[in-house]
Amino acid sequence: MIDEIRFTLNNSEVAITCDPLKRLLDVLREDFGLFGTKEACGEGECGACSVLMNGRLITTCMVPVGAVKGKEIMTIEGLRETERGKTIIEAFADGGAVQCGFCIPGMVVAAESLLSRNAKPTEDEIRLGIAGNLCRCTGYDLIVESIKLASERGEGLW
Amino acid sequence: MVETSYIPQTLEEALRIRKETGAKPLAGGTDLMVMHRRGTGVVPSFPWPVMIISSLEELKYIRREGDDIVIGSGTTCHAIEDDPSVPYAVRTAASLMGAESLRNLATIGGNVCNASPKADLPVPLIMMDAKVTLVSATGSRTLLLDEFITGPKETDLKDDELLLEVRIPLPEKDYSHVWYRKIGTRKANAISKLSLSAAVTLDADGFIKDFRSANGASGPKVARSTEVEKILEGKNVTEIPSVLEQFLDAYDAILSPHAMPTYRRLSTRRMLAHFLTEVASGTQNMIVT
Amino acid sequence: MQQTSIGRSTRRVDAIAKASGHTQYIADYTFDGMIYAKMVRSTVPRGKILDISIPVLPSGYSFISAKDIPEGGKNQLHMIKTDYTCFADGEVRFIGETIGLVVGPDRGVLQDLVDQVKVTYEEGEYAVTIEDGLACKGGAFVGEDNCFCDFTINKGDVDEIFAGSDRVFEEEINTGWQEHVHLETNGAIAMPEGDKFVIHVSAQCPFYVRKSIASLINRPYEDIIVRQSVTGGAFGGKEHFPDVLAGPLLVAAYVTGKPVQLIFDRHEDSAYSVKRHPSRTRFRTAVDKDGNITAMDVDVVYNAGGYESCSYVVLQRGVFHATGVYNIPNSRVRGRAVATNTFPSDAFRGFGAPQTLFAVETHLAHIATQLGIDPFELKKRHFLKKGDVTVTNGHIYETVVLPEMAQQVLDESGYLEKAKTYAPGSLRGVGISFYNHGGAFTGNGEQMIIKARVRLRKNSDDTVDILIGSTEMGQGFQTALTKIVADELGIGLERVRYPQPDTSVVSDSGPTVASRSTMIVGAIAQRSAARLREQWVEGKELVVEEEYTHPEGFPWDQSTFQGDAYIGYGWGACVIEVEVDPLTTEVNTKGIWSSHDVGLAIDELIVHGQINGGIAQSLGYAAMEKLDFSAKTGFKQTGLSDYIIPTSMDFPSQVCTLVDNPYEFGPHGAKGMGELVFNGASAAYIDAVSRAIGKEIRSIPVPPEILMEMM
Ligand SMILES: Cc1cc2nc3c(=O)[nH]c(=O)nc-3n(C[C@H](O)[C@H](O)[C@H](O)COP(=O)(O)OP(=O)(O)OC[C@H]3O[C@@H](n4cnc5c(N)ncnc54)[C@H](O)[C@@H]3O)c2cc1C
Ligand code: FES
Ligand code: FES
Repeated sequence: MIDEIRFTLNNSEVAITCDPLKRLLDVLREDFGLFGTKEACGEGECGACSVLMNGRLITTCMVPVGAVKGKEIMTIEGLRETERGKTIIEAFADGGAVQCGFCIPGMVVAAESLLSRNAKPTEDEIRLGIAGNLCRCTGYDLIVESIKLASERGEGLW
Repeated sequence: MVETSYIPQTLEEALRIRKETGAKPLAGGTDLMVMHRRGTGVVPSFPWPVMIISSLEELKYIRREGDDIVIGSGTTCHAIEDDPSVPYAVRTAASLMGAESLRNLATIGGNVCNASPKADLPVPLIMMDAKVTLVSATGSRTLLLDEFITGPKETDLKDDELLLEVRIPLPEKDYSHVWYRKIGTRKANAISKLSLSAAVTLDADGFIKDFRSANGASGPKVARSTEVEKILEGKNVTEIPSVLEQFLDAYDAILSPHAMPTYRRLSTRRMLAHFLTEVASGTQNMIVT
Repeated sequence: MQQTSIGRSTRRVDAIAKASGHTQYIADYTFDGMIYAKMVRSTVPRGKILDISIPVLPSGYSFISAKDIPEGGKNQLHMIKTDYTCFADGEVRFIGETIGLVVGPDRGVLQDLVDQVKVTYEEGEYAVTIEDGLACKGGAFVGEDNCFCDFTINKGDVDEIFAGSDRVFEEEINTGWQEHVHLETNGAIAMPEGDKFVIHVSAQCPFYVRKSIASLINRPYEDIIVRQSVTGGAFGGKEHFPDVLAGPLLVAAYVTGKPVQLIFDRHEDSAYSVKRHPSRTRFRTAVDKDGNITAMDVDVVYNAGGYESCSYVVLQRGVFHATGVYNIPNSRVRGRAVATNTFPSDAFRGFGAPQTLFAVETHLAHIATQLGIDPFELKKRHFLKKGDVTVTNGHIYETVVLPEMAQQVLDESGYLEKAKTYAPGSLRGVGISFYNHGGAFTGNGEQMIIKARVRLRKNSDDTVDILIGSTEMGQGFQTALTKIVADELGIGLERVRYPQPDTSVVSDSGPTVASRSTMIVGAIAQRSAARLREQWVEGKELVVEEEYTHPEGFPWDQSTFQGDAYIGYGWGACVIEVEVDPLTTEVNTKGIWSSHDVGLAIDELIVHGQINGGIAQSLGYAAMEKLDFSAKTGFKQTGLSDYIIPTSMDFPSQVCTLVDNPYEFGPHGAKGMGELVFNGASAAYIDAVSRAIGKEIRSIPVPPEILMEMM
């Protein structure tokens, strides 16, 4: 079935006509050219494809685009334009969180999701918050530190 | 290959589509989209028509009805984990599923209807004698979850039915002690290698009024035996040490893990022994760890 | 001149673009008219191909296989050897071997077509394990004994010592396969450009790719232009393996004249890619009456899988690290790489050293326990020091600061106290390990084979481009090298650019492997920058190019493996503390302390990140990353849901320290470290777990179910 699906993407109203079972991940990357959302497993395990749906963290490789009808989707491309997004990105850069970078856009989105629920997370809360985002390069320590740094620098933003 | 899909806006519409086309519901999609994926840039392919039911608000609720906590089938694990009215073992099981992003999508309906032997929620639910209510365009029926799940990945769901809700009867008197533990393949974001839920209710004199326990990932479906539970019922906590071995042996016999049998059996045994020993020791903590 | 950035932590040059999602990786490339490829692979571990039946292909689709290699082309990939075929032709040696590509515009259609290709085989008996391989199960398919290589090195006289020794300890240690799980899967695009071909590829070694595939279409190297895409992790998994994608794609681009893209999904990348070599190391160790080790006889066998690829070199490194960081007066080490019908094993961070280092550390811990002394006591007695003779009868030329490093980790972790208080079997334990890693290519490889060159171009706007084939894959080299060059030139980092390598533009600085980049390429770059500074004229375009020069006085004979196998080493010490759950035998890691000698850190934060990541990977290797053979799918674990790597919750924050021990031949005293940091944590972890459960562990990985069975 082909259907017109309307939703909000990075604060703009968009519509797409396609099979509602197409993965949101493919729609973002291939129909909207938003390549910041990555695919590393395609089965919900790694978090590289993370975005926010109505403010909540989801992995887009498991979501059919039909399920986002009427929803608000925020990808890294939208997030990087916000003060919060910039704060996290800068903290990641300064804190040494970035190595190969493939997991990082998803991590930034997960950090935003975490901080929006808990502006001053402890180390344990940060580790739990990014537990669905696999990183093979960093061993996570500097990512955790960088999220702490973002939380300190972004006092009042969340 | 049938390439039909529907996005019903109401439960009524969903039931009509279900009756007319036999379309299978897709809730969070976390089981279905993964099972039927065909790679990057390719639309997942399903052997039957699908209806996306994730936006049916009518299926998303947690409420108290009399002595039951009733959870709508479209409720996400995240909502369950966040709601203090949900009994401890169920809430904890929900909170330990996958990771944040998964719990924002995965529903109780999907977890129960997928009927994986490794699924987490059925374990405490079956332990608590939860029931499921199934609806179709022509009626509804309610049965025990333990009966609804008939085998690995098999349920008694009829072609025109949807799962409406899961109904958890609250114990008359709150459990004195509860246990829930999931052993995953790693510390987080993991499928269960084994899970065990148990609960006991003591009366004022230390007699066991009610004992129940259930295991996940230990056989084709959740393992529970009310027969075996009777070994403990009516006993005083002081008698636990003397019946413990008999109980553990009987419990062991209801497990039939298809892999890692030693590990699954031995861990279960140790966890139950630990739980009961804590109970016997007179601990005041309701939540035993 | 501005203040130097060397040593200090700098914001990485690639960080913001990556974190904000601007960086394009190979899967983000599109070209006009680009079509897609899917691989058709063997489904049996060993057999003769009797027939390949292709479904009727719709217009615009084709099946590319050995038959499409043009006149004069060779159906082979030139890795270190040329034994790896591009398309299986006649026989298959393992599940997942490339048979062909189906190419065309729609990926859904391609998937259907691949599912319809039917290959019939005459199946043969196959070998999976090292024992199977050595026993030539199903008949040898490499030489007469299934060994790709077999060699022995001697130091002193082992036999004489054993004849008169007080105690001999014999033990066998095994390690399993490990999958790289670079988060970005393998991917490449091949396309015609003029009368040449361009390969865009996620890879460590663009010049390797070019060399490996040019002969497929019978062209000179220069006709194949390789452009490295930003690489989302590699760890050795993108050293030779990209050739396995690029080769068939080149033939497809040659035949179709179109850009052809092949990106593996995770399932393919897990099931059908190279792995770390499983190993079996047997020790016979003689100990005198004072508890000193007098001789070691070591037999190392690596499971190389179906093709040799770089196994010979991996094995050499394994053999040269087999007695660890210890001065053992007499040693004999035999190494063999055995062929089996499993996916070829290949480079993986550490390149053969982690297996034998794990083995020797574990073996020494067991000997110490049996002697009734703490493993640390036994180990420190034998620490290598400056002037000592190595297993290959070369020398240690540098000051070895292992005692200081040991002191650091002991102090921070409270090791000595804990080792005494936690009784064996008490479910609490600490473990300790020491390790090293020989920097750069083994033996005279740098001088005889690689001959690295570095080119710097000063533009008329007074910016400088670094034009070399060395690659960034996450390890931070782009930043480190930019710092070295900018510092030498006395200009700001923003005026130095280090673009993604393009083999038609850059000079060949050698492969990005063997922890050689900072130490070797960095030094040449520093020299180039010094020359450029001397010639510097504002507003003028200038190019300088410098070549590798081998330091004097490191003799090496490649035919006998005698002399200085390495011109310098990185060193490490690690302590791990664990608690084992009494109910479930799950292991909780309570503390991770490490100290590393990397010479001098060009950037502390980058080094810190490498240590954290390397240790986490090493702990995964020991604790959870189980990979089993399956006769159906090649490997039983074929994705991230069943191949289990650490999450942020599995291990606690690490305490890392560095010692300053500047290395004579490295830029600012830096030496290699990317692999070193993988080499030791697994042994410290297993030592800790062994003590906690009071049982000797001789095989990794050890998930809780195995621990429970041992107890
Ligand atoms: C990365 C990852 C981690 C996971 N971790 C866990 C874990 O820790 N524990 C665990 O138990 N599971 C886990 N799962 C499995 C899965 O997420 C759960 O089973 C989840 O609850 C399924 O819910 P869903 O809404 O996504 O189901 P869907 O995929 O939408 O549906 C699953 C099945 O249920 C049926 N169904 C759904 N809703 C209804 C309804 N209302 N009426 C009738 N049939 C219905 C569908 O037709 C389908 O057959 C994991 C999955 C992934 C991908
Ligand atoms: S690609 Fe979606 S979670 Fe890995
Ligand atoms: S930075 Fe490479 S996977 Fe996280």
